[in-house]
Amino acid sequence: MYGHFLDLTEEKQSGRVGIQAFLRNRNLLVQLVERYRHQMGTANQKEFINRIKMALGKPLAASRDTTDLFSSEKSAESRSILERIKNRNAAERKKLLEILFEAAGPINLQVVSCDDISAVTGAITALVRAKDPEWGDQKSVVAWAHPLVERLNLPAVLSEQNVPLFVTGSKSTADEDLRQQVIDAYIGITSADFCMADTATLVMRTRPGQARSVSLVPAIHIAVIKVDQIIADLKELYALLKWDPHERREGLTNCLTFISGPSKTADIEATMVHGAHGPREVHLFVVTA
Amino acid sequence: MAEARKAIKNQVLQRALADLQNRFGRGTAECYRRLPEGPDLRLKAHEIRMKTIENLDVVLETLAANIQKNGGHVFFAKDSRAAVDYCLEVARRHQVRQVVKGKSMVSEEIDLNAALMDAGIEVSETDLGEYIIQLAGDTPSHIIAPAIHKTRNDVGSLFAAKLDIPYEDDPPKLTWIARKALRQKFLAADMGTSGCNIACAETGHITTVSNEGNIRMSTTLPKVHMAFMGMERVAARLEDHDILLRLLCRGAAAQNMATYVSYIGGPRQADQVDGPQEFHLVILDNGRSRILADAEFREMLCCIRCAACLNVCPVYAKIGGHSYGYAYTGPVGAVVTPLLVGINRAKDLCLGETLCGACQEACAVNIDLPRMLLALRAKLAEGDPAWGVKPADRKEKLLWQAWSWMIRKRAVYDFVLRLAALVQKLMPQRDGMIRRLPPPVNGWTQGRDLRPLAKESFILRWRKGF
Repeated sequence: MYGHFLDLTEEKQSGRVGIQAFLRNRNLLVQLVERYRHQMGTANQKEFINRIKMALGKPLAASRDTTDLFSSEKSAESRSILERIKNRNAAERKKLLEILFEAAGPINLQVVSCDDISAVTGAITALVRAKDPEWGDQKSVVAWAHPLVERLNLPAVLSEQNVPLFVTGSKSTADEDLRQQVIDAYIGITSADFCMADTATLVMRTRPGQARSVSLVPAIHIAVIKVDQIIADLKELYALLKWDPHERREGLTNCLTFISGPSKTADIEATMVHGAHGPREVHLFVVTA
Repeated sequence: MAEARKAIKNQVLQRALADLQNRFGRGTAECYRRLPEGPDLRLKAHEIRMKTIENLDVVLETLAANIQKNGGHVFFAKDSRAAVDYCLEVARRHQVRQVVKGKSMVSEEIDLNAALMDAGIEVSETDLGEYIIQLAGDTPSHIIAPAIHKTRNDVGSLFAAKLDIPYEDDPPKLTWIARKALRQKFLAADMGTSGCNIACAETGHITTVSNEGNIRMSTTLPKVHMAFMGMERVAARLEDHDILLRLLCRGAAAQNMATYVSYIGGPRQADQVDGPQEFHLVILDNGRSRILADAEFREMLCCIRCAACLNVCPVYAKIGGHSYGYAYTGPVGAVVTPLLVGINRAKDLCLGETLCGACQEACAVNIDLPRMLLALRAKLAEGDPAWGVKPADRKEKLLWQAWSWMIRKRAVYDFVLRLAALVQKLMPQRDGMIRRLPPPVNGWTQGRDLRPLAKESFILRWRKGF
């Protein structure tokens, strides 16, 4: 402690103290402002919540038992949903795939089922060749760092067409560069966590290497999933996220996204137009092997 | 009143409104029927909403705690001033110069755009309909379809004038022109704002729903995301959220699922490569706790703003959204606006509805809107110091009192009837209807014609044995 003071004296002697003390004080000031802001926030929240309690005629001090409000144990329904998902056989999966095809049609989502991953690679190669970039004349593709996407062997097939591939994998690329790569790309390739068959909805959590913008900013979005990632509906998804021990550990993450087909609008004379702000085309490949 | 008259004479608007009601009104009803649980899921949803509302203190504290745990900031704003000030302060701290805005009714309610622009910040609405409205310097006329009153030619001329491009009136091409213009805004913005359709307290997420992808853009690309929610827009559990989200998509656009649904629970985490660095959620009271305190109107807080009631309302179908004069229009606006801004001030809204009940049938959460419209009218007739309501029209009340006295006196009633039968011959008539009554009852014929009295009263004919 005294050493600290001694140091300070030395600093003073060397003339550096002005800047350093200023910096230290500034940090202190920032901290104080933060703490003040936090305290104001807490007081503010308390006042707000008390107003609600008063409106509801509740005593301000009381805190209630919330077990009936937030279920702490699976209901019989959740349990049977989890059982159903776990015991789903090949025939049932095939049925779900059919439902997915049916739901995809009206929302303009292109679904292709492929026996193996090399067929997906072939189809993607064809898409890369056939489609033109929307915002410039340079073709480039951006993709998630994801085991299934890696199996597509994209670097090899894209380099044959001289199309650069950027993977949103590591932190080694500066965020700003990555952002620019996503903006420049005309195709974004992702996988998904699940696909809900009855609404043809891709479900994606946010993870390192799996940038949110890949499924959003490029004009064409391609997603690749395995057939066993298809679930029936929102009820099944919520049961998994809430009660499945493995899924629940990760939870919804800070951003869970549902995507059902390409972006669209009907804001001008109620005419349906695809390609509002998000991708104008979405292709979903389901690997059945 | 003047706005309504103008709307009724506007042929383009009349066609657009009829078309909207034909497609969405019927489509939504069909969607409810096809629900696996059947249309009665709306009743279940009402129960869920009421339970949440009655425990709103606990539910909101849980939501806030979970979001804070994930590194998000939560601000509780007691009124629009507080909400706007908070947003401006965050904008100042980050030296924000450009804001992209996802559609949000709360931001209309608190008039966020004006405040941001006053602070020298450029604000871009990014929902296509809202963008058109903003370029035209207009206000939205429908919760879900804000530019319903504009034709393709209107939009074409507007884009030609404002974006300096050749005239174009093909809706897909117009859409892609806006897509291009707004892409630049998304990429340049330092702050994105959004509303919140339904938050989920137990997981600590807000949910945003859109078809265009503009909300995802606004909440993914800028470095700060500022979300606004009315304090009632929350579900306690995922199981509740499931039912409400499905009903919301059906009520809003007769869809089983919107194109994009995002669950946002905090800023970008340290190991992630994109997403905003800061996430702020502003939870707004602005008069809602007063609605909560009144058992008669508490039900109104169940509303999830899907706008299904607009798409079936016969009054909205004729006068459109602008005639309501406030952010919330249609049957929901007719109840919620008087409660938020003052019952006397917005009395025309609740007096103008027909009480036909179509809104309740279309409501995703089965809110008894007709009951509350009547309750508001009763307050206007009798006055209510608790809500600061002055009786709206003493003359009308006196007339009804006189009527009530008269019909209980047989002789007086018969005499008045006979007198009226004579006097009515002097009234101007057309097609067998009386066009105008003299003062003090002239108000009655201001908006309607009156059927003349029969030559003989029923009781007289009964006595004669028909």
